[in-house]
Amino acid sequence: MAESKASGGGDAIMLKRFLSNEFNVLTARLFLGSLLLVASIDKIADPAAFARSIEEYRLLAGPVVMVFATVIPWVELLCGLSMVFGAVIPGSALLMGSLLGVFTLAVLSALLRGLDIGCGCFSQDPAAARIGWLKVGENIVLMLISAFLYFAPSIRFSLEHYLMHRHKNP
Amino acid sequence: MTRFHTAWRESLAIILCSLVLGFSHTFVQGKGIFAQPAPQRISLGTSSAAPSIIDIQEALNLFQSEEAVFVDARHEYDFKLGHIRGAINLPLAEFETKADVVSSLPKNKTLITYCDGAECNSSIELATKLIESGFSSVKVFYSGWNEWQNQRLPVAVTQ
Repeated sequence: MAESKASGGGDAIMLKRFLSNEFNVLTARLFLGSLLLVASIDKIADPAAFARSIEEYRLLAGPVVMVFATVIPWVELLCGLSMVFGAVIPGSALLMGSLLGVFTLAVLSALLRGLDIGCGCFSQDPAAARIGWLKVGENIVLMLISAFLYFAPSIRFSLEHYLMHRHKNP
Repeated sequence: MTRFHTAWRESLAIILCSLVLGFSHTFVQGKGIFAQPAPQRISLGTSSAAPSIIDIQEALNLFQSEEAVFVDARHEYDFKLGHIRGAINLPLAEFETKADVVSSLPKNKTLITYCDGAECNSSIELATKLIESGFSSVKVFYSGWNEWQNQRLPVAVTQ
């Protein structure tokens, strides 16, 4: 009993150390941030093509699709910038985690309906990456990274950290 | 204030900024939601190679006389749920990858492309691509599947 408690405590300490390791946090931030920046470029350049990709999922229609196609690329861009530069990280991580959850449900629903469509994730070319179980797996990994960044307390190597220190030691 | 409350407020701020930036950018660029409607939606140009638009009566006449082959530009999923009887599925997005379907289309018959109806443009785009691929007689049944269904004309379902 005491041994299992000690082992549980050990795991918790390991997890806490992993979460607070500033280099792990920096790597996760740069990885997710750069991925989001790359994902947003094509969509911002051609919102109509992104709208067609959304329509392919057959979940939304008409003006709602256009509003999503107009706003989501900018959410990705702002979250990407926030992760790379290190500002409002918990907010970006929460938002991206939630969006990735919605994207995963959309992909799952399309797969279950037998749709063979382009993902619309990075490129809006219909011949580019198709949806599949691999995409669901990728999204789950990205959601875990978002969750990690949401809970990680370290803000070292970030704009927030720099501004905080500048404020304390002008 | 808890971590969740802080993160929630930050998320809302990001969404608001994205709304402003997204709508401003598309407005200034005249893209997406602010794009001018594509002129080819109704006007197909004056070139002799441009496909002509036909109404339901002409589509039905050609269907009954068996002088034409209907080409469904919609996604395979929608095609399987229901299509004009005898139609061939050639989704616009897969035109380049389905060369075997394109080459199987008869060159001596009129091809009639259609999609859902007035809200889609893929029938026109598909017709243009077919003309560019060497088919000389291509027409667009613009009111498409919705109108065909509303008139309770012959349909087929793929299992």
